[in-house]
This record gives sequence, C-alpha cells and structure tokens, in this order.
Amino acid sequence: MFIQTLLTGLAIGGIYALMAVGYSLVFSILNFSNFAYGSIIMLGAYIGYYAMVKLGMPVGVSIIVSILGSATLCYLNERLAYSPLRKRRASSLFFMISAMGTSIFLENLVYATIGARFYSFPELFKTHNLAFGGISIGLLDVFAIAFSFCAIMSLNLFLQRSRTGIAIRAASYDIDVCMLNGVNITALIGLVFGFAGALAGISGMFLGMKYIVYPTMGWITAKAYIAAVIGGLGSLPGAVVGGVLLGVLETFVSAYVSSVVRDVFSFSLLVLLLMVMPTGLFGRFLEEKV
Amino acid sequence: MLSIRNLNVKYGEIHALHDISVEVGQGRVVAVVGANGAGKTTLMTTLAGLLSPASGEILFEGKALPKEAYKILGCGICLVPERRRLYANLTVRENLLMGAYLRKDKAGIAADLERMYDLFPIMRERVKQYAGTLSGGEQQMVAIARGLMSRPKILLLDEPSLGLAPIMVQTMFKAIKDINAEGVTVLLAEQNAFQALDMADEAFVLETGHVLVAGTGKELLDNPLVQKAYLGVKH
Repeated sequence: MFIQTLLTGLAIGGIYALMAVGYSLVFSILNFSNFAYGSIIMLGAYIGYYAMVKLGMPVGVSIIVSILGSATLCYLNERLAYSPLRKRRASSLFFMISAMGTSIFLENLVYATIGARFYSFPELFKTHNLAFGGISIGLLDVFAIAFSFCAIMSLNLFLQRSRTGIAIRAASYDIDVCMLNGVNITALIGLVFGFAGALAGISGMFLGMKYIVYPTMGWITAKAYIAAVIGGLGSLPGAVVGGVLLGVLETFVSAYVSSVVRDVFSFSLLVLLLMVMPTGLFGRFLEEKV
Repeated sequence: MLSIRNLNVKYGEIHALHDISVEVGQGRVVAVVGANGAGKTTLMTTLAGLLSPASGEILFEGKALPKEAYKILGCGICLVPERRRLYANLTVRENLLMGAYLRKDKAGIAADLERMYDLFPIMRERVKQYAGTLSGGEQQMVAIARGLMSRPKILLLDEPSLGLAPIMVQTMFKAIKDINAEGVTVLLAEQNAFQALDMADEAFVLETGHVLVAGTGKELLDNPLVQKAYLGVKH
C-alpha cells in the first residue's frame, strides 16, 4: 500500500513538476505569474485529443503534435499579450492582469467553439497495469514518471551547459545587462515561452489521458503554482522538488485520510508555507533581486 | 571614431541631456566627469542602446548606431554598467562567457578567458564561484573582463571606481590604462575626477545635462572652475 501510493504520487508529482517548471521558467525571466499557462495546458490536451482520436495518429505522434501546438500557442501568447507590455516597461501587475484575461478568453473560446462537453481519451493505457511484488502501477503512470523526468533533465542540461541556456539564466537575473551582452532579448523570451509551452503540451496530454479533457481543466495549474511556491518562485530545481513533493503528499493524504480533504491540505500547505518560508525552499536569488 | 552630435535625451518630461556634442578619437581615453545626476549614466546607457535619444545623432565609424542594444554590441561598443551588475546567480566563468555571447570562435574565447585571468589574476581562483559571493573590487574586475570578452573597439566604463577600496581604485585605473594600451578606446564616466582627468587624453565636464567645459585632461585639471567644483582645490 505504501509503495503503491508512493508510485502513484510520483506520477502525479511528475506532472505537477512539469507544469511548475514551465510556470517557473516564465516567472524567473519576466517576474509575473502567467495565469494563462493553465489554458495553454488545456489547449495542449485538446490538440492531443484531436490528433489521436479524430485524426487517428499514434500516441507518440499525438504527444509531439500536442507539444508543438502548445509551444506555438505559448509563443503567440507572449508575442500578442506580453511583448507590447514589456516594450512599455509595464509593471508585473499588468502582465498578471493580461494573463488572467488571456486565460478567461481562451477558456470561453473553447466553450464557444468546441463546447463544454467532456472528452475522454481511449482506454489505451488506463487498463494496462504493470504488476510486480504485489504492487500494481498503471502503464500511463510509468510513462508520466519517465517522460517528466527526461523532459526536466534535458531542459536542465540545456540551461546549465548551452550558450543559450546560460543566457536564459542570465536574463532571469538582469534583462538589461543581458541586452548589453548582445542577447536579442525578444528572441530569447520567445524561446523561453516556447519551452514552457512544450512542457504544457506534455502535461496537458498526460492530464487528459489520466483524467478527462474539458475547458476548465487548466485550473489544475493552481497546483503547479503551489508547487512552484513551495520550491521557491523562479527556481527550477525548486519547482521540480515542489511538484514531486506536493504530488506525493497529496496522494498520501488521499490514500490515508480522505480524498475529500486533498485540496484543503494542498492549499493549507501553501498558506502555511508562505507564512513560515515566504521564499520557498530554493528561493534565495529572488531575495537578492528585490 | 565615435561622434555624438547635438544629442538630447528625455525621461518623459525630464530633459536629461541637452545638445551634447562629443568626439571620441580612436585609441583615446576620454573622461566624462560630473556630479551625481549630471547625466553621465544617461549618456552611457544611451550610447549602449538601452535608452533612445529624443533627437541628435550618434555616429560610430561614420555610420549611425543601430537601435537595439544587442546590435550595438555587435558593432564593437560595449558598456560596463554602473554598480557592476554581474549575474549573481552565475559563476564567474559563466559571467565571462556571457560577455562573449555574440562570438562564435571557441578557440578565441578560450584564449581570451586566459588573457582575462592574466589581466586580473585574482579571478583565476574564483572562476567556479558564484559572482554574488565576490567582493566589490573583484566584482568590478569581472565586470570589466566581461566587457572585454566581447572584444570591443570602444569600452564604455560607467563609474568603475564606485564603492571600491582606495587600493582597488589604483588597480582599476592601472587596468584601464593596460586595456587602452592594447588598442581599446575608452570612454570613462567618473565621479573620481582627479584620477579620471589625470589619465584621460581628453575630457569634458557634465553639469545638469550640459557640457560645461571640454579640453584635454591636463587642461581640465588646471581649469580653476573644475578645480573648485570637482577637485576640491580652494582658491
């Protein structure tokens, strides 16, 4: 029971971590909460669903289509909604308001065009279970853990080693100096949103396959925000640790206490943590920035 | 090499620079002295492309400057900003690599890293440390080295001696001389007027956004007006 719960928690935590990393990437560079991110995840799920069910593409191809689609949408989101604000040097409050507006717009766009119907992916993975030593884990969960892990590790490697990766970390500290160092900041921010969108595509796809696809499913990013805050806003290792931690803790609360108090627990954890540790577990650079 | 003609810069209603005209010749050290708020930093950030001029023109090697900061660096103009502004979350080495961001020659970058460690030996011990953990003097050296990593034709230094211990100020000015001796043109904004005028070929004094007086470094050192206002000499 314990190990079973842990594995399920890790699978959920992996998806939370993906979302939290995507969210934190944007936060670290532009210093605002991108509330439109949940809607991009939701659209990623719709794109994946459409590719797989309506066009009959295989799962792997559908995931790639979903990744590319979400990355493009996230990029366009920045170009259309945030770039003009950035050029006017608007404060982060305006970015946040614009993000909320975008989120509501996208959800209602889906209501108006596709409708409020719930869609469910074919029972492809849900029924497949891997059983060993009395533990049974869904194939989908195994995929979620493996895929999240690979995506996050390759992103991390890219950020640590590559020239562009170093520039992204530099920009998260000081955008103006980054421009002085010859970085085309508009292109760099576009790329960061593209990466965030790609992660949104993966998490949207997994969320859709695990649960169902519907217009407000993006609100699950509230959990990603909690995860990012636990880890320390803007910190990528923090987002990963926060996401996995939250996923595992939640699953244990569901399993051992009751699934009804799960969200009560998560949000209490957020409020409590903000009181005791406002910068989260890894939020040290943010302190220096202020 | 760098010609500034009738440059005006405004922050909204505030007119920060009035009709500034300055020439910076190839291989020269030109100093800009003036008090806090005189417009030195405004001039430097405008040249680097972070601010846009309201009117006037800036020509570099006879051509108008591009608008975007990253293209200006590509032309060979590099600003080392006031208060160093290192990336505290990156290591010293990564900070230096950011300076070479536009360069593609890997071998050249590696050779230049070595050159920087020779120029500022203390950095060699600090390469793997986060820049945020360095002392002020060390940070200023890394900031200048980061600027040099772009192989600039002209280096704009904004208050390099600010907040440094006196001994570090000496090291800093010596380093600037060495850099200039290697052929890099230097435009130096300083509150430390004596040191700056002493090493400058040419200089001008900014006061509330106007060029008050200009001449060679020596002339300004001997100018009674400059002595009284900026060098603390009593007449």
